[in-house]
Amino acid sequence: MSARVDPFTVEVIRHAITAIAEEMSLVLMRSARSPLLREAGDLSSALTDAQGGLIAQGRDIPAHLGIMGATVVEFLKRVSPHRLAPGDVWFLNLPEVGGNHLPDVKAIRPIYAEGELQAFAVSLAHWADIGGALPGSYVPDARDAWQEGLRIPPLRLFAASGPDREKLDLVTANVRGAREREGDILAQMAATRSAEARVLELYRRYGAHTMQAAIADLHDQSEAEMRAALRSLPPGTYRGEDWLDDDAAGGGPVAVRVRIEIDGDRAVFDFSATDDAVPGPLNATPFTAAASVFYAVKAIAGPDIQPNAGCARPLRIITRPGSLLQPPADRPVVGGNHETSQRIVDAIFKALEPVVPDRLTAGGSTTSGLLLFSGRDPRNGQWTTLYEVHGGGEGARHDRDGMSAVRPHMSNVMNTPAEVIEANYPIIVERQALRRGSGGAGRHRGGDGQVRVYRIDAPELWLTTMVERCVVPPYGLQGGESGAPFRITLERASGESVRLSGKTHLRLGMGDRVVMETSGGGGYGTPAG
Amino acid sequence: MMTADWKVGIDMGGTFTDVVAVNGRDGSLRTAKVPSRPSDPVASVDAALAAVGLSWAEVCDLVHGTTMATNAIVQGRLVPVALVATEGFGDTIEIGRQNRRELYRLEVPPKLPSLVPAEHRIEAQERIDSEGRVRVPLAEAEVERVARDVGGLDVEAAAVVLQHSFVNAEHELRLAEKLQAVVRYLAVSHQLSPEPREYERSNSTILNAALMPETAAYVDRLERRAGARTNLHLFHSAGGMAAAEAVRGRPLALALSGPAAGVAAAARVAEELGLDAVIAFDMGGTTTDTCVVLHGKAQISGGQRLAGRAIRQLMVAVESIGAGGGSIARIDGKAIRVGPDSAGAEPGPACYGLGGTAPTVTDANVVLGYLSADRLLGRAVRLDAAKAAAAVGSIAAAFGTSPQEAAFGIHRIANASMARALRRVTIEQGVDARDCVLLAFGGAGPMHAISLAREFGIAKVLVPRLSSAFSALGCLTADLSYAEQHAIHLSSARWDEARLSSVSRGLYERLSRPLLASGLSEDRLDRRYVALVRYAGQSDTVEVPVDDPIDAARLGADFKLRHDRLYGFATDEEWELEALRLTLAAPRGERIDDRPGAVPGQAPLRIGTASCWFDTERSVDTPRYDRDSLGVAVEVAGPAIIEDEWSTVVIDPASSARTDEHGHLFIDVGNLS
Repeated sequence: MSARVDPFTVEVIRHAITAIAEEMSLVLMRSARSPLLREAGDLSSALTDAQGGLIAQGRDIPAHLGIMGATVVEFLKRVSPHRLAPGDVWFLNLPEVGGNHLPDVKAIRPIYAEGELQAFAVSLAHWADIGGALPGSYVPDARDAWQEGLRIPPLRLFAASGPDREKLDLVTANVRGAREREGDILAQMAATRSAEARVLELYRRYGAHTMQAAIADLHDQSEAEMRAALRSLPPGTYRGEDWLDDDAAGGGPVAVRVRIEIDGDRAVFDFSATDDAVPGPLNATPFTAAASVFYAVKAIAGPDIQPNAGCARPLRIITRPGSLLQPPADRPVVGGNHETSQRIVDAIFKALEPVVPDRLTAGGSTTSGLLLFSGRDPRNGQWTTLYEVHGGGEGARHDRDGMSAVRPHMSNVMNTPAEVIEANYPIIVERQALRRGSGGAGRHRGGDGQVRVYRIDAPELWLTTMVERCVVPPYGLQGGESGAPFRITLERASGESVRLSGKTHLRLGMGDRVVMETSGGGGYGTPAG
Repeated sequence: MMTADWKVGIDMGGTFTDVVAVNGRDGSLRTAKVPSRPSDPVASVDAALAAVGLSWAEVCDLVHGTTMATNAIVQGRLVPVALVATEGFGDTIEIGRQNRRELYRLEVPPKLPSLVPAEHRIEAQERIDSEGRVRVPLAEAEVERVARDVGGLDVEAAAVVLQHSFVNAEHELRLAEKLQAVVRYLAVSHQLSPEPREYERSNSTILNAALMPETAAYVDRLERRAGARTNLHLFHSAGGMAAAEAVRGRPLALALSGPAAGVAAAARVAEELGLDAVIAFDMGGTTTDTCVVLHGKAQISGGQRLAGRAIRQLMVAVESIGAGGGSIARIDGKAIRVGPDSAGAEPGPACYGLGGTAPTVTDANVVLGYLSADRLLGRAVRLDAAKAAAAVGSIAAAFGTSPQEAAFGIHRIANASMARALRRVTIEQGVDARDCVLLAFGGAGPMHAISLAREFGIAKVLVPRLSSAFSALGCLTADLSYAEQHAIHLSSARWDEARLSSVSRGLYERLSRPLLASGLSEDRLDRRYVALVRYAGQSDTVEVPVDDPIDAARLGADFKLRHDRLYGFATDEEWELEALRLTLAAPRGERIDDRPGAVPGQAPLRIGTASCWFDTERSVDTPRYDRDSLGVAVEVAGPAIIEDEWSTVVIDPASSARTDEHGHLFIDVGNLS
């Protein structure tokens, strides 16, 4: 253990390393190609120490918190530090190597100072396509991991001498939109390069000894913050469960079950009783489970906790091998990242309802509400993919109504403006409106969902859905009523109208309409009268 | 008979109103600072003039920056507005971009309340597509119906925002014509923000409508007060001044008026001194504004947030952070944090003796000896060193350090958070901060500039003349200018010369109209076109200065050069000209003469000695000089403190300052061992 550094220098260094992570995100966002990165900001940046312990995180996407540190830790189990060199940038997306799902590709750069490995810069970006059976790489009927796309084990795409052209070509040859993907790869590389330059400036100024001691202090600070947050919860054992609509393979609702043990300043989150892994793409990795637990604890007890490796010390998170949250490596996972993770948060909220209802919100539209349109744009013959997520009602609280048309909990990705959609895709947005009356009744009402109507303006487009809360509606708290469930309706140009499932893939034709009605939030408290 | 010889710049802030006046005949200069009266801004202008001993009859030109629009938005003082939107899109204003403001704070409502309540949203049956084709015609009966519905609401302002109106404005114009009969104030989206993104355009248009009544009333009162002899201009967010008349219909252009004036003054100084890259650093009591100035031009951005709301409006690209001299240091578990809470103007830092006890950055600066206790800030506030020591002492006691160590730590942490803001503005512009000159102004800027510069690897600091009334100076020396940006969405693969020149011509015609009407001749107008370019599929654009007419090959080459500089790579694939921006300026050539009476080599007047801490080991006896006594080309070696009535320049032992004939202070930042 290094000697202590004065608290003022520690705080100065905290600002500096947070600035570095922020800078990475800015560089990536401004130069990336995927609409998801540039428009919606589905990305994260982090710095870790030489062992993979998270030091700082830039743009804070809850679903990525807890993933990035794990990525480096698991990466180092596969790639010995002796094989790393200054100037390397390694790419990977394997869910079992500290991952979540294939589209979230991580770039890792080792950073050396005073002759030793000191840190890693990690840039995570959601690629708009990672190959696999369908454009956009969301395959609702995937039954194994390989159908979901290109699986990238740790792969050195850049070295000090420059890019490894053949490996880059191998990657881009296996995903749709090779040029766009190469742009994303370059943007991620540029983000880690800016981080390296800044980290080296810091090490030159303070020296490795002081830097290491300051980082150790920051980890201790976050550990203390997490312990204080846990102490604010009444000790005891609490159980909660929530359900996925289905297993994405025709089977009924799937349970996520948690047993929470709060013991002073420590806590155990045990998910052993959760159902088994499912055949469809709703499995989640243990790393996603950890991210969900961090989110829930922060939101309920400690919003200001600085995200770093120290947060994890007082927590024990147990998942059962073979379960939904620790699936066999051959199972598909693409939806688990943003659907099942939300079920974990909901299960934790429900578990704590008896003891801290005032700190919770009722169930909200906790699903990405993902519609993926792809096909050829007749205006220019180009293949395009629109990846659009849809917010709904927020659950009510003890002191206010829920907000309408918003993204609760694990994600916060924005919508694409109708004018931008129409200029870039052969789709007309006919309507975007609140879905009035969809919020659950209660002493305080749940927020309303929204309605968006898409009319297809091309001879052929393909639609993929990845939507939860179509069957199991957002729950009320303390006697409040549930919100209205999601509803997706296909109105064919022929006049025929069909209700679509939350996990489907089908062909659309000219003039067809997709009517998206997102779920309302749950109410709080027994409704008056 | 009094002659109107004086030109006056006034910057009206939330707390103080600064004024700089220059006599056009003999070049004499007067400055003052008076308390602002936000409830009666015209009275603030009167008071500012009185403070420099002028009456309206003596003023030929008055330019002023104001926080009026900003305050109205922040405080929610907005009149009710009716919104007319395309059928099916009335709720856009409530849905927004569906993201929440706070990721982890469940108690905070995730979005701000919508600017227009549901009962004030009127939908019009019409539809224009992204290429400007009419898909659903706007029937005359529908226009009548909408006007009737708006007329039935009890509102005096309305905003019209139709889908894709920036491509084809016909429907908006037809509605606007009818609506003029039923509301007094009308804002039309394609005129205010001719760019895609219906939610941001709606916010801009509605806010504009909501600000119109107050702005018009203010301009009326000010014009009446000024009389016919005084030319009246207001400072706008894009860094120039506009005729009061032009602002009446576009009050949102005043949203960043105050910070923009400071940045404009920085740009002017940079231009006069031939500095390539400058970071304007304005550190005040509660906020710090930073902006990059390249080749004498302030960087402009099209999309910003204002009081938490996303808008589209050309503004100087200022990064504003809620930190300043009033930021409070507190202990958080084992950690020390500085800010975001601020002691503000009331009660202010502990050393003000106005009841504050929390240790602030200003208190730390008193403990370090930078701010002397015998000073009277602006003849009003006497600093209380004992109160500062007691406040900072609480932090020292908690960590078992000396008070000076704690104070030094607070000063450094404040710099670290400033450095984050500096980092963001420089990355946005793709500039290496180490190549920049840090131009420091505002009450606290010159006190932190050198240590901040060192933290950042910046070698040169410039504290300009009149640094504590710098925004007012910016008003005085600004050009008359108007700026506008128009979406165009043109691919390099399908270049359309005709469309481009029609957009460019349209911009020029719109912006030149008020200038030509004021009697300026066309050859006096300075046209600056900027192309906003990106690779197909990217979101953010790279700004490329261009000449009219635009040469596509040259633009492509310039774009790739800049992209490579910003992001470290560039490819030969298809790119898009997303939008074209024009700034049309009529340079006034206004400049402040060199300081009359300043004597070359005159030895500075030493007004005392301070015991200052520049490290945590020992204090150093530091001479204090009166800034006004410094002659031309005088070297002042650190350690030294240079004071004027409102601000303090701290020069540490490793650095040294030099004056020039304009009264600017150049500081070489040395290495502290």
